[in-house]
Amino acid sequence: MQTDWASENLQVIRTLMERGAVYRRALAPVMGAVGLTGLAAAGVAAAANVRTAGAFAGYWMGVAVICLGEALLLVRRQALKDQEPFWSPPTRRVAQALLPAFFCGLAAGLALARGDWAEVWLLPPLWMALYGCALHAAGFFMPRGIKLFGWGFIAAAGIWLFAGPRSLSAAHWAMGVFFGGAHAAYGVYLYFTEKRGNAA
Amino acid sequence: MNPRPFLQLDRVIHEKGRLPIVSLLAASPEFSFTELRDTLKMTDGNLSMHIKTLQEAGFVSVTKSYRRQRPLTTCALTPAGRRAFAEYIDLLEEIVRQARAGK
Repeated sequence: MQTDWASENLQVIRTLMERGAVYRRALAPVMGAVGLTGLAAAGVAAAANVRTAGAFAGYWMGVAVICLGEALLLVRRQALKDQEPFWSPPTRRVAQALLPAFFCGLAAGLALARGDWAEVWLLPPLWMALYGCALHAAGFFMPRGIKLFGWGFIAAAGIWLFAGPRSLSAAHWAMGVFFGGAHAAYGVYLYFTEKRGNAA
Repeated sequence: MNPRPFLQLDRVIHEKGRLPIVSLLAASPEFSFTELRDTLKMTDGNLSMHIKTLQEAGFVSVTKSYRRQRPLTTCALTPAGRRAFAEYIDLLEEIVRQARAGK
């Protein structure tokens, strides 16, 4: 008797169950909140005249911590609303995928925050590239265009490295546009597409 | 080779269109109709037909509600559906084991 179909069925089941366990929280509010915070932070940085490398790194790492807190709170609120566990297996997998690149970004920021490095303009493209890698890694467990969004950050980092302006004020501008503006725009896009997708 | 495991396979689950639905529902507390349709790339009519068969077998429960003033249909495996799916997988594994032992 031909029994390959049994193995194939088991493989199909495994693949579909993995796909069914992807992270399915609505990302629009998270992206929107992170985007608006990024844009506001760029405005505050310009007004507060953050000019040293250490202050730049410390300031934006603080903004990142605020954004992370916002994201966790929003995800937790959604989990409570849907009566689902917050720290579910898909959430864990996404967190694990994000962690290595986030850790590298934190280490780079901390190293720079200690001194007054002249090449501080390198930090935004480095953070952008690492953030893109983190999103790309997490994209394997998430729906929609997260991987593409990650690639956008990686490409923008590459362009910035070769053709971007090399000053501290431009670095603030880059953080505001790429981390703030891009997230806000993606949040708006997701808001409309998720709304349409959820209705059946 | 013993044909018994093959004969015991649940015919409701062991259908090309329904096995993927049950597999997805087994991995998540619930799925909306739209998510199932988009993930499995099925037509509305085809998915409705399979869901109805699974519902009639008592394997799937369907809930109709509203979210943000829009109708929302969600599907979930019932305890009987979960049991039947587990038994189905056990039988598939048994068939594969027998095939390997026979080689």
